[in-house]
Amino acid sequence: MNLKEAMQFIDQGWKRRLKGFRVHFERWDGTQWIPDHFPDPGSKPITSEVSAWELARRFAQATRPDQDPIGPGNTANVHVVDDLGNPVLFYGTHAPLGFNKKKDLPGSAG
Amino acid sequence: MKTELERWQQLGNEVMAYGQDLIQAMIILVGGLILIRLLFRYLRPRLKRIIPRESVVSMITHGVSVILLFLVVTAALHHAGMREAVVFRVLALIAIGVVGVIVLFRPLLPSLPFKVGNTVEAGGLLGRVEATTALNTRLRTFDGKTVFIPNRMILNETVVNFHFTPTRQIRIAVTITYDADLIQAKTILTAILARDPRVLDKPAARVFVLNLTEDGVEIAVRPWVKNADYWRTRCDLLEIIKLRLDQEGIPFASPRRRVHLHESALEGAPAGKAPPPQGPEMNPSTPIRKGETA
Repeated sequence: MNLKEAMQFIDQGWKRRLKGFRVHFERWDGTQWIPDHFPDPGSKPITSEVSAWELARRFAQATRPDQDPIGPGNTANVHVVDDLGNPVLFYGTHAPLGFNKKKDLPGSAG
Repeated sequence: MKTELERWQQLGNEVMAYGQDLIQAMIILVGGLILIRLLFRYLRPRLKRIIPRESVVSMITHGVSVILLFLVVTAALHHAGMREAVVFRVLALIAIGVVGVIVLFRPLLPSLPFKVGNTVEAGGLLGRVEATTALNTRLRTFDGKTVFIPNRMILNETVVNFHFTPTRQIRIAVTITYDADLIQAKTILTAILARDPRVLDKPAARVFVLNLTEDGVEIAVRPWVKNADYWRTRCDLLEIIKLRLDQEGIPFASPRRRVHLHESALEGAPAGKAPPPQGPEMNPSTPIRKGETA
């Protein structure tokens, strides 16, 4: 095997490069939690991982339910996913991270 | 032979006959020029919204303004009594003359190494070129300042134009301590680059040991990105690298200085009191290299 062939194996075996990120969340419509994303799956994803997490954090803060009962527009389980919809580990800790977890929301049983 | 009085009378008659037309022609000319100016002041910002490229907007506005100017001058001269054919010939001759002069002398004129809309580093400033004139270049810096740089300064200095190549290399140097796991650090840095969607596959990103410094091992991180992504990607990578290396327990090197004291120097000092610094090697401002003894 020459070097060029070996390099092809290395490139193919290397971790798949992500195409972008989306913020995944669940939105309360008054009766149930509806899963949603931004940007929409059909549109161009966010290319910056740092920006995606920053947007997720700010979005979670802006839509966090502060009182019980939870109102329409409130969100839960805000986190970042890749272009295939798989959850992305937070780059700072290399561990899962989510905002507005359901167990932390007002009125939840824990 | 006409007397002076007759000449003045004749001039008066001509002014009476043609003066009104001449004044009206002047009004048409001046009014037309003002209208053209107002029109472009109104149209230019709107065109910029539709057409993002500044150079294309400039080309369109200049082209249309030349045509409108031609029409205004023609109308004014026609009103002043000149025949259309004559007016057209005169203006055509002027236009051909101007174009000829430009074509003939263009190669001899020093040209600026950028176009409107390019991002350049010129005259010690980094920004986007907003306009160029015969005397100066208007640059909009990224902190919002508008700077006018004389063209002679630009022509005499080195100019970096970031539009000639579509990609750009980010140069990050990470210095870790000597006792940190170098291979693990390189693996983490490579993984960070492989994960970023903006880092290009070709040319391939590289991570390698750049230097062994007094403070630690300097690792070079060299990904390639599109020009437009440069700053954002660089800032993101710096943040991610800092947090990931912290999380993995790989310490960054900080400037450090080792001071070695001879026991013999301490022996002569009173108990509990260190001897005063003696000689240049004891001067705290003098760095002592790794492995050196004072």
